[in-house]
Amino acid sequence: MNEQETDRERDDLAPDPAAALAIIERQRRQAALARPSNAVLFTVWGLAWLVGYGGMWLSGRHGEVSPASAIVFGACVLAGLVATFWHVRRRLHGVAGSGPRTGALFAGAWVVGYAAQGMTIGGLANAGASDDVVQLVANATGALVVGLLFLAGGMMWRSPGMYGLGAWMCLVAGAAALVGLPGSYLVMALAGGGGMLVAGALEALLQPGARRG
Amino acid sequence: MADELDPVIHAQARLRVVATLAPFAPGDSISFPRLQKLLDMTAGNLSTHLRKLEEADYVAVTKTHEGRVPATYVALTPTGRRAFEAYTEQLRALLG
Repeated sequence: MNEQETDRERDDLAPDPAAALAIIERQRRQAALARPSNAVLFTVWGLAWLVGYGGMWLSGRHGEVSPASAIVFGACVLAGLVATFWHVRRRLHGVAGSGPRTGALFAGAWVVGYAAQGMTIGGLANAGASDDVVQLVANATGALVVGLLFLAGGMMWRSPGMYGLGAWMCLVAGAAALVGLPGSYLVMALAGGGGMLVAGALEALLQPGARRG
Repeated sequence: MADELDPVIHAQARLRVVATLAPFAPGDSISFPRLQKLLDMTAGNLSTHLRKLEEADYVAVTKTHEGRVPATYVALTPTGRRAFEAYTEQLRALLG
């Protein structure tokens, strides 16, 4: 009997019920590799916020926020965008249909949300809002866009983890405005970035299949 | 026999194929090479089992073009999805 025939026989073998369920569970985890992983994306953005806003807090806690920390923040956001794009593209490679289409619409919602946030901040600055007010609004609306979109995404994909993180980020937005400066940056770094890291770790623990790559 | 497990699905390789396609949303399809990678099967082997699943109307195989490159996409049909759900329920019932 050659090797191919052995393969064919094994392929046609009927597994016992327990083995069949184990196969189903294993393949469900494999299929999860063709979907973007919440664990990976929450962790990427948790790190970006922790470092980016953490730097702003460190530099601004005794006065003005330094331009260097603003550059570090910008680099963190850019790194987050690149990592997100790379991850989603890799995961969805070879997948077609409503799933990727919904994902593209969701990505568009982020672009629109942050464009509107940038315009709002610019408008307030033009209208003579103080630097403090502009920074507080920038932080609060920055977290609010994340919070509302994660709430929407959580509903759309029936993901309790994403929904819970969305609710948390909305509260972070409110807190970031209420505490004033420079504490607002600490709220964004620890409660915002830290919250996303905790959510990422929980997703990885609860859905180990979606963890890799 | 009403209790007999669906012979189209109840074979190691085809169960793996169907179980890999089932978690995708209805209407989503996956390219042949990507499916092959997720399953770690040879192309010939996967083709053979896809043909059997296609004959039972459990999967739909669509040939298309991406630019000039021909591409093959595979999806579970509504019939296939129902059969997989019935099969999974039967397994659970058998195991109590």
